[in-house]
Amino acid sequence: MTKELLISSCQQLLSGFEFTLGIFAFTLIFSLPLGLLVARGRMSKNIVVASLVRFYISVMRGTPLMLQLLLVYYGPYYLFGTSTGGIKIGPFNYRFIAAIIGFSLNYAAYFAEIFRGGIQSMPKGQYEAAQVLGFTKSQTYFKIILPQVIKRVLPSVANEVITLVKDTSLAQVLSVSEMFFIASSLASKQVSIMPFLVAGLFYYIMNALIEMMITKIEKKMSYYS
Amino acid sequence: MNNDAILVMENIHKSFDDLEVLKGIDLTVNRGEVVAVIGPSGGGKSTLLRCATTLEKIDSGRIVIAGDTLCEMDGEKLKYADKARLRHIRSRFGLVFQNFNLFPHFSVRRNITESLIHVLGKTKDEANGICDDLLLKMGLQDKADSYPCNLSGGQQQRVSIARALAANPDIIFFDEPTSALDPELTKGVLEVIRDLASEHMTMVIVTHEMTFARDVADRIVFMDGGVIVEEGPAYDLVTNPKSQRTKEFLAGY
Ligand SMILES: Nc1ncnc2c1ncn2[C@@H]1O[C@H](COP(=O)(O)OP(=O)(O)O)[C@@H](O)[C@H]1O
Ligand SMILES: [Mg+2]
Repeated sequence: MTKELLISSCQQLLSGFEFTLGIFAFTLIFSLPLGLLVARGRMSKNIVVASLVRFYISVMRGTPLMLQLLLVYYGPYYLFGTSTGGIKIGPFNYRFIAAIIGFSLNYAAYFAEIFRGGIQSMPKGQYEAAQVLGFTKSQTYFKIILPQVIKRVLPSVANEVITLVKDTSLAQVLSVSEMFFIASSLASKQVSIMPFLVAGLFYYIMNALIEMMITKIEKKMSYYS
Repeated sequence: MNNDAILVMENIHKSFDDLEVLKGIDLTVNRGEVVAVIGPSGGGKSTLLRCATTLEKIDSGRIVIAGDTLCEMDGEKLKYADKARLRHIRSRFGLVFQNFNLFPHFSVRRNITESLIHVLGKTKDEANGICDDLLLKMGLQDKADSYPCNLSGGQQQRVSIARALAANPDIIFFDEPTSALDPELTKGVLEVIRDLASEHMTMVIVTHEMTFARDVADRIVFMDGGVIVEEGPAYDLVTNPKSQRTKEFLAGY
């Protein structure tokens, strides 16, 4: 492999990495709050809501993410005969949007279970102390409960975040030109696994950075136990 | 009704499923009075405090705190105060838990000032002033910036007493404030409560510290099996109990 070829491969992989980063960032932005909402639904006193949410979580966790991505992408066409080819939000075509939707729905389910565990691990006394001090329900949730839950769930959330970095490569089934998709096409053109190895290195570097950030956040939250 | 009554509980009934835990309790506490509640475990002492402090809802009866009706019977039905009134009532009493229930992610200062600022609408400066005064009183003036996890159990309980006092309540309830503490740490907490008693703070204290109850309380209430078996002036009840059950209970101390 010539030096020029390596450089141009890297450049192409990096342009794919932009999509990888995009999927990663948008998925977190949508799935974390959605997960919180889903967790609340799962713990709802309304049995209908709780069962529906429970079913949603079990489907998301019990079927392949790749299949879910395909369903989000092809679903509108098969269900309503809608053509999705023309759909665009800003620079993003429906392939990319479908990937974000699929990933967000899937990760929200995982995050929801993590948040639920965290919320349910909070001692009842925290709610009671807040109640007798006159805090409203929402003050109690946002000031007292949530900050402590975040600290408790951080290690599990970190695990999912790191998994997400690698899972973004599943978007290739929708032909989103993320890094793995590019690596595949380069590999078949060059008849070499080199592009895969370089892509692997990029994933690894990204996760190393993420781990550093998480360690920093954990340190910042370690002022109490 | 006695105008000086800060807490009125009338004919309180409370069940958990099939288990009747309070079987028609009557208890009145006047301003400045210190009432100790004693009795064997499972007798309903905590439940009584939790009903008075809105943590449990009663099944029937009437509760009035500092002149505000928390709940009363409307014919056959029990009616609770509305949300706004409940909030107001909650600012009129303080509750000190057996296991403190401090907010671990808040500094000592924030544990005390948070509700002053965000519930009572005090300014930060006002709240900090109140906090500093209370910490001085609790002997914790140098702990404002500490976090609960770095304090001893006794210090944590004193912070939680400061937190309960912050809103300047008309009455404070204590549920076994020293039961979670090592023996050598109980002294500081009991001293703080003793000081409050000498300042005529109205208090209801569930406790197993008999000597403390005898010396500090004006009145002792002995509860067992969901009823008040006997009550009377503290010294008399401890030294000269009338009921057989009280005698047997006190013999254990
Ligand atoms: N939330 C609850 N659900 C069911 N039973 C309860 C609950 N809280 C208390 N009890 C029962 O009520 C009885 C009185 O308990 P409690 O008020 O804690 O007594 P004490 O404080 O005097 O030890 C006990 O039998 C206890 O098991
Ligand atoms: Mg108890």
